[in-house]
Parts: sequence; structure tokens; C-alpha cells
Amino acid sequence: MIEIRQLHKSFGSLEVLKNIDLTVSAGEVTVIMGPSGSGKSTLLRCINRLEDITSGTVIVDGYDVTDKATDINFIRTEAGMVFQQFNLFPHMTTLGNVTLGPLKVRKMNRKEAENLGRELLAKVGLKDKADTYPDHLSGGQKQRVAIARALALKPKVILFDEPTSALDPELVGEVLDVMKQLGREGMTMVVVTHEMGFAREVADRVIFMDGGDLHSSAA
Amino acid sequence: MGTGFEFKFSVIWESIPILLTGVKLTIFITAFGLLLGFLLGTITGLMKISRNPLIRRMGGFYVESVRGTPLMVQVMFIYFGLPLAVGTRIPPIVAGITAIGINSGAYIAEIVRGTFQSIERGQTEAGRSIGLTHFQTLYYVVWPQAFKRMIPPLGNQFIISLKDTSLLVVVGVGELTRTGQEIIAANFRAFEVWLAVAVMYFIMTMSIAKVLNIIERKLEI
Ligand SMILES: Nc1ncnc2c1ncn2[C@@H]1O[C@H](COP(=O)(O)OP(=O)(O)OP(=O)(O)O)[C@@H](O)[C@H]1O
Ligand SMILES: [Mg+2]
Repeated sequence: MIEIRQLHKSFGSLEVLKNIDLTVSAGEVTVIMGPSGSGKSTLLRCINRLEDITSGTVIVDGYDVTDKATDINFIRTEAGMVFQQFNLFPHMTTLGNVTLGPLKVRKMNRKEAENLGRELLAKVGLKDKADTYPDHLSGGQKQRVAIARALALKPKVILFDEPTSALDPELVGEVLDVMKQLGREGMTMVVVTHEMGFAREVADRVIFMDGGDLHSSAA
Repeated sequence: MGTGFEFKFSVIWESIPILLTGVKLTIFITAFGLLLGFLLGTITGLMKISRNPLIRRMGGFYVESVRGTPLMVQVMFIYFGLPLAVGTRIPPIVAGITAIGINSGAYIAEIVRGTFQSIERGQTEAGRSIGLTHFQTLYYVVWPQAFKRMIPPLGNQFIISLKDTSLLVVVGVGELTRTGQEIIAANFRAFEVWLAVAVMYFIMTMSIAKVLNIIERKLEI
């Protein structure tokens, strides 16, 4: 599903990723752990090319992300992303957040998109929050909307960048539950997290990252 | 010691109908000037945050040259200078609208640039991460949020531009200030007439402030 070969990434003279090799198979849940500044976010952001890649190859579902001929917007619908800070669109309702991609990227008609949106909101346990604006949601609810927003593109893989790190401890569980369910349903996921419990329970693989290297991986 | 001055309310009363024709023209020029300014400002403001350095430079050149020169000179240049170069006369009203448009455009460009840049990077990234193009992200994600933040500084600029139209007396546009001048030339009642003119400007600027206030509150969800 994802194949990363000899990936290097530098910000100016700072080499953040040093020769990363990583293969993620379909249906696999890969957890990435590691200290702050080790390059975990950068690695995820190279996969959907929110960051430009210095050298190496990243292949997502058979498409070469580094190839200029590849439609990068298409790659991003294949590899959805969930951010630490949720990054919901505050000027749209939760339904608006979830349907924006289907409407403008997938060119679905409004009725189809809204049906899909409501279905996904129900899936993340927010059926009755369709018309609520993000400001009126708790952190856990926001992150569940963000997951629904990513799912709305029907991605092949979802990249999670510390999805529970900005949450109050009592709200972490509800987000992890949604992620666990996704994992059980066979969604391919790459998850940067510090949640040991989650890793133990759902991860097919845990990778440790340190100083821009992938150190070890265990089953 | 008496000055012999006697305030005559009737002078104001009699001037109102003529002054109102000036008010109408002032509003007309302001409205169309700002419309032009908003278009120019949005385009050049976005140019200034373009990823292409040449486009950025072009936007910057426009903003700097307008901000670096007096409006009065810009008006004179457009009305008296340009026709010599292009060979056709421009009606004063058109010159006035153009001047207000080009002038306000530069300030609006800075407002557009500032508010766009004030929207968190995460918003753009979230937009791009669901497959929106750069332009779609600007349009559906950044613009609506930036627009909300633009309203107070835009209101400020609207008020400034409305007052700036009074400078158009120099090219003979019959806006409010010009009508005031003409009435005084006939009746010599400078005190009453300028007072009336001032009050009319004040009512117009206050109305802009009020309307924007209402819009701002409407946009709060
Ligand atoms: N846009 C950027 N420009 C310059 N340096 C950057 C940029 N983004 C990240 N870095 C640097 O790259 C290194 C790796 O950052 P990254 O965010 O990938 O780490 P991380 O493992 O996700 O850390 P954290 O656990 O704190 O999120 C850090 O030293 C960071 O300062
Ligand atoms: Mg990080």
C-alpha cells in the first residue's frame, strides 16, 4: 500500500529523515513512536506530500508521490490525514466539514454527499451533531469529525499524527475507540502516537523512530 | 465684542436639497470606487502571497507606489496627466472612481494579505489533505475565514475612502464638498454650509460603521 525507499528529507541544512525504508501492506496498522523532534510528523507528511521530498521514493497504492506527473491531489484522497490539532473548518458545520471533499473533490451531488456524511458521522458516534459548528464540540468530538472527514474521501490509508495528544485524558478513549474499530474493519493506518495501549491492542507493527532513523520494528 | 455673526438655520434648510445631490454623487463614487478597489485589492493582495516571486513583486510594486504617493497627486495624474498620454479625455466622475479604486485597492490589498496570512497553516493543510487544489483551498477554506476578519479593517477603509472623495473637488466632480463650495460662493454662509456638509459626511460614515457592525454580528455563528 505504501512503499518508502531511501527517503531523505532536509529542512535547509537540518537533515530530519535519513534514509527511511518502510513498507506498509494493505490492512495493516502501523504505529510509529519516538521522541519529540525525531521526524515522525515529517515522515507522515512526506507520504501525502504536505512536505516536499528531498530524495528517495514514496509510492502510495502504486502511484509515485515524487513523480511530477502524479496528480498530488489524487494521492491525498488516497492517503487521508488526521491532525493533532484537528484542523476542522470552523466556518462549516460538522456535516459541511465532512462533505466538502466528496462535493468538491469527488464531485458527488449534494444529496449523495450528505447521505455519506451523515452515515460517517453516525459511524463516529456523532449522528446528532451534523448541524453543529466545531466551536461547540469537545476535543474528542472534533477529532472524531476529523476522522469522518478523512473517511469521506474513501481513502486507501489514513495517516494519524498524534490524534489524541491535544485531548484531555478523559476524551482520549472515545477517539481511540473509533480508531480501533477502523483497524478491525481492515483500514490501513499509519499512526503516530504515544498511546502504548492502543499500540499493543491494534498495531500489527510498532516502529521506533529516533533522530530521523527507523530504529526497530516489532510485531 | 460682537462679531456681527448670526447663525441662520434657514440657510442650512435651504441648502439641503442641493447638498443631497452632492451626497448622492459622493455615495455613487464611493460605492463604485470601492468595488473597483475591492477587486484590485483582492487580486493584488493574493498576488502578494503568491508562491511566484515575480507575481509577488508585481503586487508589491502596485501597493508601494500607491501608498507612497499622495491621493491628490494620483487624482491629478489620472485626470490631467493620463489623457495627454492616451489622447482621450476622461470624464471627471470616471477619473474620480478610478482614483478612489486604485487608491483603496492598495490598502485593501494589505488587508487581504494580512487576513489571509492570519489563517492558521493547519487550515490550508487540512484543505489540501482532503484533495482540494491550492485554489479550492483558498476559495472554500481560507477565504470565508479571512473575509470575516477583513470586515473591521475594510470598514475602516470604506470610511477613509468615502472621506477621500472630497479631494475630487480639484477635478470638479460635483460631490458633496464641491456642492458645499458652490453654495457658499453664492451665499457666503460658510459656517452654516460647512457645518451641514460635515454633518452629512458624519451621517454617511456612521452608517457605514453601523452596517458593518451588523454584518459582523451576523457572521458570528
Ligand atoms: N517546516 C519546517 N522547517 C524547519 N524545520 C522543521 C520544519 N518542520 C519540522 N522541522 C524540524 O524537523 C524535526 C522533526 O520534526 P517533526 O515535527 O517531524 O518531529 P516529530 O517527531 O513529529 O516531533 P513531535 O513529537 O514533537 O511532534 C524537528 O527538529 C523540527 O524542528
Ligand atoms: Mg509531530
